[in-house]
Amino acid sequence: MEEMVMATLDLITASPHSSSSSSSSPTTDNNNNHPSSSSSSSSSLCLSSISTRRTDLSTDLRLGLSLSPSHYSTPSREQRSSFDWPPVKSTLRCTLVEKSQISLFVKVYMEGIPIGRKLNLLAHHNYHALVKALANMFRTTILCPDSHQLPLISGNNVHVLTYEDQEGDWMMVGDVPWEMFLTSVKKLKITRADRC
Amino acid sequence: MKKAAYSFPEEVLEHVFSFIVSDKDRSSISLVCKSWYEIERWCRRKVFVGNCYAVSPPILIKRFPELRSVTLKGKPHFADFNLVPEGWGGFACPWIRAMAGAYPWLEEIRLKRMVVSDESLEIIAKSFRNFKVLVLSSCEGFTTEGLAAIAANCRNLRELDLRESEVEDLSGRWLSDFPDSYTSLESLNISCLGNEVNLLALERLVSRCPNLKTLRLNRAVPLDRLPNLLRGAPQLAELGTGAYTSEMRPDVFSNLAEAFAGCKQLKTLSGFWDVLPSYLPAVYPICSQLISLNLSYATVQSPDLIKLVSLCEKLQKLWVLDYIEDDGLEVLAASCKDLRELRVFPSDPFGLEPNVALTEQGLVSVSEGCPKLQSVLYFCRQMSNAALNTIARNRPNLTRFRLCIIEPRSPDYLTLQPLDDGFGAIVEHCKDLRRLSLSGLLTDRVFEYIGTYGKKLEMLSVAFAGDSDLGLHHVLSGCDNLRKLEIRDCPFGDKALLANAAKLETMRSLWMSSCSVSFGACKVLGQKMPRLNVEVMDESGPPDSRPESSPVEKLYVYRTVAGPRLDMPGFVWTMDDDSALRIS
Repeated sequence: MEEMVMATLDLITASPHSSSSSSSSPTTDNNNNHPSSSSSSSSSLCLSSISTRRTDLSTDLRLGLSLSPSHYSTPSREQRSSFDWPPVKSTLRCTLVEKSQISLFVKVYMEGIPIGRKLNLLAHHNYHALVKALANMFRTTILCPDSHQLPLISGNNVHVLTYEDQEGDWMMVGDVPWEMFLTSVKKLKITRADRC
Repeated sequence: MKKAAYSFPEEVLEHVFSFIVSDKDRSSISLVCKSWYEIERWCRRKVFVGNCYAVSPPILIKRFPELRSVTLKGKPHFADFNLVPEGWGGFACPWIRAMAGAYPWLEEIRLKRMVVSDESLEIIAKSFRNFKVLVLSSCEGFTTEGLAAIAANCRNLRELDLRESEVEDLSGRWLSDFPDSYTSLESLNISCLGNEVNLLALERLVSRCPNLKTLRLNRAVPLDRLPNLLRGAPQLAELGTGAYTSEMRPDVFSNLAEAFAGCKQLKTLSGFWDVLPSYLPAVYPICSQLISLNLSYATVQSPDLIKLVSLCEKLQKLWVLDYIEDDGLEVLAASCKDLRELRVFPSDPFGLEPNVALTEQGLVSVSEGCPKLQSVLYFCRQMSNAALNTIARNRPNLTRFRLCIIEPRSPDYLTLQPLDDGFGAIVEHCKDLRRLSLSGLLTDRVFEYIGTYGKKLEMLSVAFAGDSDLGLHHVLSGCDNLRKLEIRDCPFGDKALLANAAKLETMRSLWMSSCSVSFGACKVLGQKMPRLNVEVMDESGPPDSRPESSPVEKLYVYRTVAGPRLDMPGFVWTMDDDSALRIS
């Protein structure tokens, strides 16, 4: 039966109007599924909020990385966008993401002070908000990662923010996109600017 | 003169036709002869357009000049899961403008997955003097200003239902625009609104509309205001609560319980956002009268769900999160013998490990215990051929079976084999199956089963399945009643599509994304089949900037009498006779 069907298919495709057979190259970009950013309804706000799943975050296609999972093998969990699978409507998706989004508390130390603090990173939406909160908490000036100015006063009241990543390395905060930072940060340290 | 025994006067035929309501039957009548066609089209009052691009407003209006009720659907179903990019289409405006001119006596407009502007709502509000029903299901593009226009102008409005629409919520004031003299509301669904509505206005509206049967509130309506609302509408049949949480206070609880008990006709409950479990017992007194319960937002644990569900002996429809677990489904199977529809949604869809004890066993229990079960939507993390076989044999009366095993390409967890045989059993035993969604590890074989047995199948959804074009060919050549086919991430390509081109004209639509259909084949299909719109979607640039053999990102094919649409955004191209000219 199968042979007959295959033969029929071949016969039809041999006709003058048929096209050549399809290639096996995977599609180039799965990153099409941006939610509307114009409406202020709750579901679009939620879609731009962060899932706590670190593996999903690190491969979040919203970052503009064009991963092209071959669709002949299951894309690994890291590669698959959580935007369109599993097929759950956005209203439910939002409610569930909200529910799981409790906190991401990390330790924060300031150089010279032995007792550290703890801060919920998910309470802030970007680097600016984080720096502001820490500057308040530790009563110091922390250079914003965006600014390129070098401290004119080399005092001990100007600090920069650094973090320990999953591999144990100490890095400057601000180089990678915020969502990516959240997946790799383990600890924060406020170090003196003139040390970096 | 010989009088033909069968030439009745038109009025008599018209009267006879008025008893024939179903679209299919109406269609059949209109095909009998020219005079029947004419009579039928003048007395047709209700029309359902499953794809707004299959026909155009002028064509509709020309054929049916006296409509009172129009239903339109826009975007493809996969738009619900973010697969259709923003701006794709489904604009309601041209329809509404045209209908405003042609149908001054239009009473009902129902739109699904369409883009509706405030301007359109204003046109509706001002153009139809006897306007009664507005249902906007999964629509978007409008704000509360548009709603204000409806509230202020539609004196005879009976139903305003915004289910699952995305509304830009500018202010809750719009509700106050219903005049004090307005009392005809029967159904109100504002569950999708993000912000608070004017609660006093809501209370007054609810209490002055004696025929209000359906009230679905939004999350922002606090629980302590619910008793007042219920007391204002003791005749309610369907209620959607707002947030179901409050400080735990005995007086709030008893107030609520009393108010629920006073609603003797309440049959349907939904809402239940942010549930505080200690408030659930407030609904216990009415559980025995419930036929429909939607707990899809109720993030409470199994024991609380079990307690609730076990009291609902008349339940016919249950939507619940997988917090209910296998144990809870066993209780459901034992308590709710009238169950017709079950939907179990995943509480942690993106998690890597199962967070709840819900497996295939839960579904098996329900299939054993609930003899009337017809419709299933089930998300789980493991499945076996044996379980599917059991379910199929237990419930040959299934008409809708949608299974989503969360991890794509998951095999039978017991045998590590594909789930072909299990789904094969489903299509073989459930002879009236109309809708099927597949998941798990599947080869071409499952499609052979579907093509062989799925003779009544109307809608099929496929993801991450199949090995070759043969799979697609089996479905297109075997499923006689297929209307909608949606496929993503499957190795289906040109051969099967082109070999079954004629089949596509018998269907409403075909969606294929992340498959292996080449641009060249799309062009051929478009050229070969003038009554199909073959739309290629590609956000990375024009498809002809790549080789013809490159696969297209997304393909949407649908039959139409209206020709290619003119409102396509930049990332959609229609393949037709002129496509070669148009693209270059």
